[in-house]
Amino acid sequence: MTNSIREIRDADCLFITGSNTAVSHPVISYEVIRAVKRGANLIIVDPRRIPLVDHATLFLQIKPGTDIYVFLAIMHTIIREGWVNDTFIAERTEGFDKFKAVVEEYPPERAALISGVPVEQIEAAARIYALGERASGTSIYDDKRGHSAILYAMGITQRSNGTDLVMTLANLAMLGGHVGKPSTGVNPLRGQSNVQGACDLGCLVNVFPGYQAVTDEAKRTTLAQAWNVPSLPGEVGLTIVEAMHAASEGKVRAVYVMGENPMMSDPNTSHVEHALRSLDLLVVQDIFPSETAFLAHIILPAAASLEKDGSFTNTERRVQLLKPVIAAPGEARPDWQITGEIAARFDHYLGIAREPGYWVFPSAEAIFKEIAAVTPIYGGMSYQRLAGAGISWPCPTPDHAGTQYLHVGKFSRGLGKFNPVQAHDPAEQPDDEYPLILSTGRVLYHYHTGTMTRRSEPLAWREPGGFVEINPADADGLQGSGGVVIESRRGSVRAEVRISDRVPPGTIFLAFHWRESPANMLTQDFALDPVAKIPEYKVCAVRLKQA
Amino acid sequence: MIQLTIDGRAIQVQDGATVMEAARANGIDIPHLCYHPDLSVSGGCRLCLVEIEGRPFPVPGCGLACADDMVIRTQSEQLSAMRREIIDLFISDHPLDCVTCDKAGACLLQKYAYEYGISETSHDFEVSRTLYQDDNPFFLRDHQYCILCGRCVRVCSEIVGANAIEIVGRGFESHVATPFDGPMIDSSCVFCGSCVQVCPTAALMPVSRRGQGREWDLDRVKTICGYCGVGCEIEYARRNGKIVYAQARPDAPVNGEFLCSKGRYGWDFATSPQRLTRPMIRRDVAYDLGLTDDPWTLPDSSPLADEKPRIEDSFVPVDWDTALNLIGERLADTVKEYGPDSVMGLSSARCTNEENYLFQKFMRAGIGTNNVDHCARL
Repeated sequence: MTNSIREIRDADCLFITGSNTAVSHPVISYEVIRAVKRGANLIIVDPRRIPLVDHATLFLQIKPGTDIYVFLAIMHTIIREGWVNDTFIAERTEGFDKFKAVVEEYPPERAALISGVPVEQIEAAARIYALGERASGTSIYDDKRGHSAILYAMGITQRSNGTDLVMTLANLAMLGGHVGKPSTGVNPLRGQSNVQGACDLGCLVNVFPGYQAVTDEAKRTTLAQAWNVPSLPGEVGLTIVEAMHAASEGKVRAVYVMGENPMMSDPNTSHVEHALRSLDLLVVQDIFPSETAFLAHIILPAAASLEKDGSFTNTERRVQLLKPVIAAPGEARPDWQITGEIAARFDHYLGIAREPGYWVFPSAEAIFKEIAAVTPIYGGMSYQRLAGAGISWPCPTPDHAGTQYLHVGKFSRGLGKFNPVQAHDPAEQPDDEYPLILSTGRVLYHYHTGTMTRRSEPLAWREPGGFVEINPADADGLQGSGGVVIESRRGSVRAEVRISDRVPPGTIFLAFHWRESPANMLTQDFALDPVAKIPEYKVCAVRLKQA
Repeated sequence: MIQLTIDGRAIQVQDGATVMEAARANGIDIPHLCYHPDLSVSGGCRLCLVEIEGRPFPVPGCGLACADDMVIRTQSEQLSAMRREIIDLFISDHPLDCVTCDKAGACLLQKYAYEYGISETSHDFEVSRTLYQDDNPFFLRDHQYCILCGRCVRVCSEIVGANAIEIVGRGFESHVATPFDGPMIDSSCVFCGSCVQVCPTAALMPVSRRGQGREWDLDRVKTICGYCGVGCEIEYARRNGKIVYAQARPDAPVNGEFLCSKGRYGWDFATSPQRLTRPMIRRDVAYDLGLTDDPWTLPDSSPLADEKPRIEDSFVPVDWDTALNLIGERLADTVKEYGPDSVMGLSSARCTNEENYLFQKFMRAGIGTNNVDHCARL
């Protein structure tokens, strides 16, 4: 997030798209509710009638995959009506003219035809967002223009044009000048407890800790010196989905998995299983025997986050300390101890000698000291400073207070760049053979591949089994049938049916928590976003058959 | 800014602040039951009555806007007498079961009864609400302890936005209810337990808390939730090293007192008997290594096809050294034969910063590849 969670309650307008906030980030939805109760306008752009729609001023219900047309039309309207923030664009951005020329091709009438959203709704959303209009009450901010914030999640990014969509939302924010101020910004809501931290600390194929590019020779040399190695690899590595393809082809031979369950979470499960089976070595380190663990050669028992020290970085970049609450069961160990031991033994078999303590650390805190030394955005942090409320990065020096919201006065790259983005349709469209669109995601009471929540008694009581949401219009003859078979070009899945107007006609929704109805048997892995390499979980073509 | 005096202290506050807010900001505690800093003002309990110089009658401090030169008294003989009478009325239909009550030590009514020296009611005692609802595994609703402060109703509407409950009926018949008093699961309740969090008495209690010890038997540890990326701070109350219940504290930097269903109630997975507790090697690999006498092959059917697969059917437990050495050796062999880019590391968005850092350091500085990714995209 560019801005912090607590600022949401003071926003004048909230624009939420591709995020089922009340389900996937309930506590952030509480901030949204607070803002609405204080008089903020809430605009929701989503194919599904998500719970927050009950509190919205405007609900732009798009056909899945057509949001890009609506965003472009909103920006078209803002420019046409003169609602742009001229000062902001002149002082803080570049590339506006080229961008404007592209946006001119996308009038609301065109978006309405494609998305099904009425022109008037698009124009109202444009005005309310751009000017930061409130529904009632007075703003806590003195500015001429109200403060509007964009919140989004995987509905935007799990798309074959996800990067384009994120750049579009950034363009929208810059048009209104809704960046670099409290209660504004472009705010991705991140899905997992430490997904932000795992990215920050370099568990990505193209960057070292602190988003330092692996292709940058100077950065590589500096880090190699810090780590006391002669050199570091300079070629971008393979992402998860690419690695699965490489494993099938025999190019990747060994996979070390720490706390992941690709058999449930990755697209096109049949292909993932084939890839994992073809490995010479699969090591799975986890807290439960996951579906992936059953294919491993070696399984290692890990401690859960409730059982260890360390730190998590949340979606607003706040680094906070964990404390062990209970003891780990049996011989389970914290992951950092296990990885350190594996690395030390790997060295031993290759005959590599390193200084003692290179891999095996006495405590999580000792690792954090090294993190701070090589990760500039974490440079000023220490366990001592993190105690209490934590610190949001960037925090480069010990006397830096951390950063509540980004891009004040100037962007990280200097001027904000308007990227002239064109509309693209999802890679797999419904057709006569597969007439429905499948979208995947979460339900409130479960989390990701369900390894934890499905073993929680109260949560499993509330939502015991897998189900697919189908609009009444698509459910002819399915009601009371005791289940349905969903088929895509990749595979088929059986699921219980829940007739629901949360999904529009032509779209069905299946969460990916259910091992008995594994949604990713259906999803496609052939068209990834070209930059982020994210699979298009939100749109694939399916058909229904009576079970 | 407004200048006023509370209990003889000169105080400066922002325009629009209430006397309750001004007092609390300056460390002056005005007794209250229905007031909650995150919720709208109700003014129902009357415990926060204060005296204003120049006005004949006391006024509830929670709904009183500060004005310039106001002189407020939060303690006096008259106010104490009034507060005693209010507490006396509350306990005329609230059983004083404090000796067996799980909430003892954390109950606001008990706290004020103690502070104002009320040990029994002077009125005829009669429990007006007797409903006991244990219709879900998250929380219990024991209406005899309810004082109708309405905090639960307000939090459900004003913070959670679920609007699952409302106060229905009149007089002694009034109680907090779902539509038509139906089961909780049929309402719009999202089982976040925010109502339980703000309940001042034992009317709303976590199921896991029942009979597990008194407040002073429990110790508390705060950590960060392991589910989504919001980063809520949760305080776990423990007894003998086991979690009894979870709650949030007002000073939690992100979430304040509020959590979702998974955070507040979804911690019992950790003690599931299905947890992995020992390193294990797959039976075919173990057989090749001479660790088991029974040959075995991995079945062709998907692990997903098996409704309840048992890990011990496919794996044999080994000690840590055997497992770690085997991994070190096989990884080294792979790198020697096929090069570092034949190895892929998948780390986890559920593991800590320290673990993710060390993991990618191993892949890069140890193995020598940038093939390191995690579930950020999934």
